[in-house]
Amino acid sequence: MNIAIILAGGKGSRMGMVDQPKQFIDIYGKPIVVHTIEAFDIHEQIDAIAVVCLKEWHEDIKIWTRKYELNKIKWIVDGGETRQESVLNGLKAIEEDVNPEDIVVIHDAARPLISHKIIVNNIEGAKKYGAVDTVIKASDTIIQSIDDNTISSIPVRKELYIGQTPQSFVYSTIYDAHKSAASSQIQDSTDDCRLVLNSGKKVHLVDGDKLNFKITTMEDLLLLKSIIKMSKLERI
Amino acid sequence: MLSRGFKIVQSKRFEIYIEDLEVSFGHAVVKIETAAICKADLRYYLGSRDERTLNLKYPINLIHEAIGTIVKDPTNSFKKGDKVALVPNIMIDSEKQDEFDIALSKNPRLGENYSPKALFASSSYNGFSRDYIAYPARNLVKIEKNIDSSIATFSELISVASAAIRRVILKENDVIGIWGDGILGYILCSVLKQVHKGHIIVIGHSKEKLEKYEGVQTYISKDPIIKKCKINVAFECIGGIASESGIEEILNSILPGAKLVLAGVAENPIKINTRKILEKGLALYGVTRSNVEDFKFAAELLKNSDFRFDISKLILDVTPIYEIKDYYRVFEVETESRALGKHIMNFKF
Repeated sequence: MNIAIILAGGKGSRMGMVDQPKQFIDIYGKPIVVHTIEAFDIHEQIDAIAVVCLKEWHEDIKIWTRKYELNKIKWIVDGGETRQESVLNGLKAIEEDVNPEDIVVIHDAARPLISHKIIVNNIEGAKKYGAVDTVIKASDTIIQSIDDNTISSIPVRKELYIGQTPQSFVYSTIYDAHKSAASSQIQDSTDDCRLVLNSGKKVHLVDGDKLNFKITTMEDLLLLKSIIKMSKLERI
Repeated sequence: MLSRGFKIVQSKRFEIYIEDLEVSFGHAVVKIETAAICKADLRYYLGSRDERTLNLKYPINLIHEAIGTIVKDPTNSFKKGDKVALVPNIMIDSEKQDEFDIALSKNPRLGENYSPKALFASSSYNGFSRDYIAYPARNLVKIEKNIDSSIATFSELISVASAAIRRVILKENDVIGIWGDGILGYILCSVLKQVHKGHIIVIGHSKEKLEKYEGVQTYISKDPIIKKCKINVAFECIGGIASESGIEEILNSILPGAKLVLAGVAENPIKINTRKILEKGLALYGVTRSNVEDFKFAAELLKNSDFRFDISKLILDVTPIYEIKDYYRVFEVETESRALGKHIMNFKF
């Protein structure tokens, strides 16, 4: 079984809005999170979906599940204080229904432009390697500055990648990594792959694409709206 | 849901379009698996139609030959995972049809596809060059799951052959002449081999292409023996400017009282010797796009392994389309190709 865990627990503080996290913003009549869930709901290789979000949004997710006929949502799970806690809550919620060798595809709700191909790459990669991270090659030079003022180093660009989501794993691999992190008092990892690396396992790379960007700022939102062009031709 | 596709925005320019897919009443959602490029697509790609027409069409998703998989069907006509062919010719809703449309649709030799109100994918509305499409369930035809999707991609051309054949009533002893050694000629010949017991003769210009035809008599055009073949049903599958000389040869070669079905598309008007038609008392039939019934006929034919073997010879290669670059590449290859067959695209983006 392949399960998608959609992380919609963020508060969207970087957008400046106070009433609504970014993943619930409406884009042409549909919340961003619904666009994201639909990409997994329609995907032939995804069997079930867990949505992790703040408790006050559970009812909205239930309403949208009916309104947009989302058939694969099986769990709506409370988000945690950190990303790491939210993922762990998701992994715990599905524990009874999955086998250790099942695949979990963990994805940010704020990346609605996930393609069919990226989901395929993730599932096939996770089955083959046990743990994969979606990345794109860095096209800009990355500068490291430790003091936030001067350049500390300029890493070699061809060795650098930009991390995206999904990050996908064999269930037992990621669950064990999370349990081990929790017991080592690591609580605020922003990246699941880091936890798997900490447990001594390899994480392989799969190709993402530039359109799979994360809606973090108002500029990203503007970009998303301009990308989703309204269809000009009449509907049949 | 968000659907990703490639639209042509000007000649030789595709752009990625991401659009919110709305599932209207009576529609099912299909994931496009395989697709092929038609000459009409190439005309849009190369910009070889008049500028005004092109500007009225761009931007548009090309491709009207495709096979997909059902991912969602609120109409309950199909099961999830069913393999389907998409019928590009869409008739307007029955309640909007007038007496003329109804009369057409009831005539088995014509059909609703002859209505000027019918739409056509990749011409009067968006075609199939996208990952997912919401499509009228009544315009989807189930293809048996074990049939290779690349072979099934030829369903549209098989349906066009079916549409050409049903324009005339064939008798067992009819001698059929097919003019044109291209893909339509080949497919028409393959279909006729399955349904016609009499002689089938194929006339073309390319020895190499004609060698691919098995189980039928082939002649190079202008061979004097063609006139002695007593052809009484002819199919013109040449198209373009070359159809002028082809039709001239047909009119000179076929028996008095014979029938001629014109199936090739000439972009510009061509000359036809009407005197010969009058002298010989010939009947000419036009054939246009195929309909759902033709696709159902194609789906049945594809169950036959001999037929599938014939069609499989048209697959020049199968290219996975991971991104827009791959899509461009296949259009370029298809533009240059003179071989008998098509480059099948496997949508993986």
